Amino acid sequence: MLRTIKPKNARSKRALQAREPKEVEDPRTAIFVKGTHTGEKVNAVIKEMMALKRPNAISFSKKNTVRPFEDASSLEFWAQKNDASLFVIGQSTKKRPDGLVFVRMYDNRVLDMCEVGVEKWVSMIEYKTQKSTPGHKPLMHFASELFDTHPRFIQLKSLLMDFFNGEVIDSICLAGLEHVISVSLGPTPASLSAASASTPAAEPSSTADLPPVHVRVYGVKLLASGTRVPRVELTEMGPSMDLVLRRHADPDPELLKQALRRPKLKKQDVEKGLGRKRKNMEVDEMGDLRGRIHVARQDLSRLQTRKMKGLKAGREMFDDDGDGVSGSGSGSEGEEEDAQLRKRRKTS
Amino acid sequence: MDVSGILAEHAAKQKAVTVEKDIPLEVDTGLLTVTDLNPVDTESYNEDLEGYLKATARDGVQALVSALFSLPTTSSADGPLAQLPPPSTQLPRAKPLPKPKPPTKWEQFAKAKGIQNKRKEKKVWDEEKQEWVDRWGWKGANKNEEKQWLTEVPANADADFDPSKAARDARKTKIAKNEKQHQQNLARTQGPSAAAAPPANNADRKKQIDRTLATTRTSTASMGKFDKTLEGEKKPRGVKRKFDPAEVSASAEKSHNLAILQKLDREPASKKAGGDNVLNVRKAIRSISKGKGSAALAREGGGGKAKKGRR
Repeated sequence: MLRTIKPKNARSKRALQAREPKEVEDPRTAIFVKGTHTGEKVNAVIKEMMALKRPNAISFSKKNTVRPFEDASSLEFWAQKNDASLFVIGQSTKKRPDGLVFVRMYDNRVLDMCEVGVEKWVSMIEYKTQKSTPGHKPLMHFASELFDTHPRFIQLKSLLMDFFNGEVIDSICLAGLEHVISVSLGPTPASLSAASASTPAAEPSSTADLPPVHVRVYGVKLLASGTRVPRVELTEMGPSMDLVLRRHADPDPELLKQALRRPKLKKQDVEKGLGRKRKNMEVDEMGDLRGRIHVARQDLSRLQTRKMKGLKAGREMFDDDGDGVSGSGSGSEGEEEDAQLRKRRKTS
Repeated sequence: MDVSGILAEHAAKQKAVTVEKDIPLEVDTGLLTVTDLNPVDTESYNEDLEGYLKATARDGVQALVSALFSLPTTSSADGPLAQLPPPSTQLPRAKPLPKPKPPTKWEQFAKAKGIQNKRKEKKVWDEEKQEWVDRWGWKGANKNEEKQWLTEVPANADADFDPSKAARDARKTKIAKNEKQHQQNLARTQGPSAAAAPPANNADRKKQIDRTLATTRTSTASMGKFDKTLEGEKKPRGVKRKFDPAEVSASAEKSHNLAILQKLDREPASKKAGGDNVLNVRKAIRSISKGKGSAALAREGGGGKAKKGRR
């Protein structure tokens, strides 16, 4: 645990303020860590993933003895020190060759982890095409039904989306759409498609029958089509890699619940119709809030008109009448009159 | 007029930019993501992997781009900006939600009283300079009175009255008062227990209790000499009564006695608070009416009765 720092001047105060939690978060910063041994392939993968993630990427160029699935304390330390919430740890061992571990943090604690192995790797340099500008937001494409059903792939999708595209923005320049990161799976094995139908919780231990993951990065070309929507053409830009899923760590449910908490919607957003719908209210094109009011039927019996002496209800007269009627009344008529009288008394 | 040719041409154009799939693609424009939930076509996958991946990616991206281009746009220097809706996929946050700032004492009071906050402009118009100047800070307007070359001096002022120093002192007192209130607000938000919190571990707590007990035992005039002792209680060590010296100078004795007389002459503090009883009436009214005052309390209590009477 780092000691809490008290700012001594305005600059360090601003720097600390920038790290404080915000309602709309900054893009996540990723730290790329090399484990005790990384082969040539893993080094290249880390380098090019950094190129895609730049400028929100920090490289740890030295080797580190880090085993995220056994002890996450150093990750927590680095996360706090660098104000980063994503890690990519490259590690190549005999048992698990060419491994990459994606770690996602929440509040400087490990939320979830997913280990993948790199099977096939083609570098960006092999493709002689124009590369995307650093800092441009990529499009994301996921293709397989397992991204909706299988817990491992749901996690992978969420992790990759958070990694490349997690920042929430309110507008984007349409001319700046340059590249797409496409994540596709191999054909779904029969065991998984059958298992997902019968038992929704698939066996977590068996990773051998999970389909391979193909990650491709394409450059996007928008061609005029004669309509408002352009025609899209893709050219492979690289890097491209085939991954297999290995170990993983699911998020702690309590921590995940905290992490998924949303801020309360602002008044302006609620009026715009986001979130809870407000009835009978709308914002017109001038930006004015317009409401429709439904008035209930007016109760005229309680209307107070001008008070005059002559219109005053004679108390004695009513009393006399009421006594007479209630004494003799036995049929339905008498009861009706009784009710009317009671009403009048109430009003007077 | 035959429009079938134009229609066919338009349909052909539309066909190039629309994507037909068995299961419609899930597009999340807020995060620029498209998910294709159609099962993988094993035949073409095995035949030409790269071609198949590229074809599915193209279809997906086409659907995403169509969705993006149909969003409302605003123009900018670099081209049209599409206004993105909030994302439909929930991603976990990196840090917890920011905690709301606790209200200051003034804010609490203003809320109870229904006082609307009037925001002061940071700049004020300077008639002499004919420009906007800061209200405070470097070359701020609040220092004008200290810097002016001619100042009106009140008629009853002392000979050594320095008007610029008086103005500066007034300003500095205001700053000090504000800082003090700020510190009090901070202390209040950290809770009353922050200063007098019980120590965390048992040993510390025991030490603190012992110290408190020792203080109470020596707090009588006889330093606890005649107090009842419990079984096993140790005698406090190093406790000695202190006496004033028997011989003092005449002036010291005089001032000492005068101080006692002055104390006797003064009105007791409890009477000043309002009556001989222990209840502080002003404070009680303030707490019950939530800072609104006695008039509001009377109105509230009396108003209800008056209504009942009328009915």
